[in-house]
Amino acid sequence: MRDKIAKYIFFSCAIFSIFAIFGILFYLCNTSIPAFREIGIFNLLFGTVWAPDKEFLAPSDKFGLLPMILSSLCVSFGALLVGGLGGVFTAVFLVRFAPKRIKAPLTAAINFLSGIPSIMFGFFGMVVVVKLLSIISPSGSGYGMLACIIILSMMILPTVTSISKNAIEAVPEEFYLGALALGATKEQAMFRVEIPAAKSGITAALLLGIGRAVGETMAIIMVAGNRAIMPTGLFSNIRTLTINMVMEMAYATDLHKQALIATGVVLMVFIILLNLLVSFYRRDRSHIKKTLFKRRMRSISFHPYDIDIDTPRRQGQLETILKYLAMVFCIMSLTSLVIIVVFIFIKGMGHISLDLLFGVSGNAGMTLRPAFISTIMLISLALTLALPIGIGAAIYLVEYSKRQNKIIKLVRLATEVLSGVPSIVFGLFGMIFFCEILGFGYSLLAGGLTLALTILPTIIRATEESLLAVKNSLREGSYALGARKAQTIFKVIIPVSIPGIITAIILSIGRMVGESAALIFTSGAVAYTPSFYDQPGSSFAVMMWMFSNEGLYINAAYATAAVLMIIVIVINISIAVLDSKLKKRRSQ
Amino acid sequence: MKELSYKIEDFTFNETKKAINTSKLHVFYGELEAIKDVSITILENTITAFIGPSGCGKSTLLKTFNRMNDLVECCKITGVVEVGGVNIYKNIDVSTLRKNVGMVFQKPNPFQMSIYDNVAYGPRTHGIKKKSVLDSIVFDALNRAAMWNEVKDRLTKSAMSLSGGQQQRLCIARALAVKPKILLMDEPTSALDPISTGHIEDLCKELRKQFTIVIVTHNMQQAARISDKTAFFLLGDMLEYGNTKDIFSSPKNEKCERYITGKFG
Repeated sequence: MRDKIAKYIFFSCAIFSIFAIFGILFYLCNTSIPAFREIGIFNLLFGTVWAPDKEFLAPSDKFGLLPMILSSLCVSFGALLVGGLGGVFTAVFLVRFAPKRIKAPLTAAINFLSGIPSIMFGFFGMVVVVKLLSIISPSGSGYGMLACIIILSMMILPTVTSISKNAIEAVPEEFYLGALALGATKEQAMFRVEIPAAKSGITAALLLGIGRAVGETMAIIMVAGNRAIMPTGLFSNIRTLTINMVMEMAYATDLHKQALIATGVVLMVFIILLNLLVSFYRRDRSHIKKTLFKRRMRSISFHPYDIDIDTPRRQGQLETILKYLAMVFCIMSLTSLVIIVVFIFIKGMGHISLDLLFGVSGNAGMTLRPAFISTIMLISLALTLALPIGIGAAIYLVEYSKRQNKIIKLVRLATEVLSGVPSIVFGLFGMIFFCEILGFGYSLLAGGLTLALTILPTIIRATEESLLAVKNSLREGSYALGARKAQTIFKVIIPVSIPGIITAIILSIGRMVGESAALIFTSGAVAYTPSFYDQPGSSFAVMMWMFSNEGLYINAAYATAAVLMIIVIVINISIAVLDSKLKKRRSQ
Repeated sequence: MKELSYKIEDFTFNETKKAINTSKLHVFYGELEAIKDVSITILENTITAFIGPSGCGKSTLLKTFNRMNDLVECCKITGVVEVGGVNIYKNIDVSTLRKNVGMVFQKPNPFQMSIYDNVAYGPRTHGIKKKSVLDSIVFDALNRAAMWNEVKDRLTKSAMSLSGGQQQRLCIARALAVKPKILLMDEPTSALDPISTGHIEDLCKELRKQFTIVIVTHNMQQAARISDKTAFFLLGDMLEYGNTKDIFSSPKNEKCERYITGKFG
């Protein structure tokens, strides 16, 4: 009986992700239906003019999303070309060519790069990249497409790197050894055998990279120029779908607002398509088989009968060049990390003062005191909600999923899609559902609920991994003593996987500390200190956005960036420490 | 809670002297027939050894006695398995069955808890909360497993700090703590050194007085040393079953003879 109850509880946690996805889709679509109806789908998608203020234009003429759609696509593919390729090459370098001693620190550095909040990238782009680009820009302004591409490349590189690294490492070692045994060089084995074998995983990595680029908001809003015109060149001011929403949502009403939400729908459709593609590519992992192995071996351009010891080998030059390219990309991503960190510390540390940190904050002078309080309140609310649901869902996925039934598959897909949903879409949904429909208004309550949704996939995934690592013999041992399933889960399995759950908590805290796009329209962007959950309040990242947005508080923005960076570093170090402890325990 | 068709007292052991009885038992893993038409009667207070080459189905048969096969997804069972006179594949409470039929696994699998908590896990699971009762159960179980003196001063230390042999004896103590009638042992010494193996064999002989033990082993000498009865399996068939002395001195089955003399397997 108790077992049944436990099972149903875990089950309802698991299907929560499905409800979340459908809820987001439903409320976005439902709210934007008037826009689609009045403007017309064709006009909305392919209209080239976006001028909501022009009263004299008919709705069908002034709400055209094409400039935004094109801008989003351009910057995403640009970022894919630089950051995506760079990510794959960095992964290649890390797996095979990096000296053993620097492999672990390099991987940690790349992971660290992915933990830096987007607002920080945006700020860095605004004060460094844009300034540098203005030197070579024909118009004298560095804002625009190229700046976006550079920033987005830096942001998607770590994502692509870590996923393709996993994919390459999953290729059986015998592929590599087999190629070497045929006389291939290390480089040939990598580029001719291992990479083709990891193709589906790398494709998935690139697709997820595009997804991250398309959905990115706060990093590029500060460097894009934000004019709603058709993109014409690398220095053309652009406005992406995401920027469009953040720029105008604060004052939009009626049809204008619905058209903005329709922008979110377009974005969401794009993200879902990408994720379906990803799950398609991930599914056919099984094709790594012996037949493929043989075919790859044949493709190595090495002819055993032409051996001539006197002439130096001329085979595999291209691969050697590729190897150096991989090294260059790895060094570049590392340098960008170092530059960001050092720059923010140099500029920010001097401006951190007790008054800035804890002084009274109001519209006259903003300090970080509200940010500390709001962030802690937001994080504790979101964790209280998301942690039990996420852990329950992970337990259902691992402990009850013996038969690969459809619901389990659907839950996994929903969780994956949920993890790919851009922050701004969460923000939009939170605004529609929590603030308006449930009537919470701009409040920490609405913000915390929205954050709970954003961290749910992180918690599910990390917990799932730690549950999968629990040895089966422990489960058997417990069942053999006559323990029931629920008892086994709560008394034996969960205690063992606690370090993994703690990692999940820290990871999601990291995400929440840096979160801004999901919060601006849910918990609000205000300067004063909240006293309870029914009031609005700005988290760290939102505060930093407010500081940098107005141009008056640029020093305070630097200081906030430095404080945020310290938090991010502490979080990353604790994850690394926990991970190494986990590994030690597993190897016992 | 659903009313059970059988209570613990229904697992009666003293009338028939039959601890376990199977008839026409078939076990399938998907397409593969792992156990073919096995009918065997295991008597109370004996040590019965299952021997045979790898993949012969001896572990599978062992796992049908406490329904651990339920955890294997594609496993199907036909025929009758009676434990203490009760058909365990009818409508019974698996938890109660496993409380009565304990199991020790090939590799020691202590939980990541203290030594005390490991032993107390079973009784606690079955609802015993009183500290004094638990204390006496833990003492009794560790005492029977001949390790009380070794660990009495560090009961609160993690079970992971014990040596492999100690961990395995702890797992036996853990199994004894729920007071089973039958103890199933699946190659309990194959991951241990000779000295620890000796400890466990002595322990088995001692436990025989109160328990019925079924042991799967790859070690011929071990079967000859400790068991009263021996069953020989090959590819899912039980080819010979009888007194250990008879089997090891004059096996009737030719394949069995070749196996125990080391000519194949």
